[in-house]
Amino acid sequence: MTQTPQFKGTHLFDRLCWAKENLEGVQSDYRVVYESSIDECAKILVPDPNWMACALQGGILPPVQVYWELAKDEAKPDFKKHTRGHLLHNTKPVEAMTEEEAIEYLIMKDCPQHVWRDYDSGNKPKMVICRKEQLPSTREWRNAWKITDDLATDETVAA
Amino acid sequence: MAGKIIADTLEHSTAGSIATNYVVEGSSKSWVNFNGTGTVAIRDSLNTSSISDRGTGQYTVNNSASFGNTNFAFMTTAGHDNASGTACNFDPWEFTTSATKANSFQETGSTTVRNDRNFLYASFMGDLA
Repeated sequence: MTQTPQFKGTHLFDRLCWAKENLEGVQSDYRVVYESSIDECAKILVPDPNWMACALQGGILPPVQVYWELAKDEAKPDFKKHTRGHLLHNTKPVEAMTEEEAIEYLIMKDCPQHVWRDYDSGNKPKMVICRKEQLPSTREWRNAWKITDDLATDETVAA
Repeated sequence: MAGKIIADTLEHSTAGSIATNYVVEGSSKSWVNFNGTGTVAIRDSLNTSSISDRGTGQYTVNNSASFGNTNFAFMTTAGHDNASGTACNFDPWEFTTSATKANSFQETGSTTVRNDRNFLYASFMGDLA
């Protein structure tokens, strides 16, 4: 297995370029179906294969909390540009993750917080992790897709 | 062998010279090529963490290394699925420093409708955080 260089303090973009050159992309079978608004159809999060390779390798990606800090800065009304971008580069990178842990990290990075913070608190879950085979095989009526009430893992999860 | 060249200018023997900041500033900081039909899948990328499929012809591209501000440039295009040459667009419309929403459209006669495309391409240029 390729050894990850000691990347703490290395710009995140440089780490991603190293990964692109040295790691094989990993196409995940996992998808995350989530509903961020009751007025909108279900959305589907698709992991990037090069990002997944970084997550499985370890020592490349920053802790997910760094993205939350930057999002807090960006949410301020007087935000013009990031002044704490160094958090991405100087915070100790996270260790190797399993594919399942990587999906959890990705949810906390790329799904709205209000979806995953209390995803299971309403009448039905707002978010489901599934395998891509569980999604409908065609995109017919795509704009009407919702998470189905029956969330058995061997069933189609959105239709 | 890993190495580093530190230079402010690149000079060609006959074609002239160029400052290296042209190269640094002018390089794409993130790009992605993905299939927006069926079960959406990313073919290849740089500095992309995921795509969100938000509905017919509606996608969000999420970056790993955030941009410093939202004044970056976003170049997009949608490939034709056949030789008919029907006009199609892939238009960005909402930005944060780490996520960009973009919709793909197909022009049919005088109407434009959101449409899933097999080949969607996006490239970002700007300053990273």
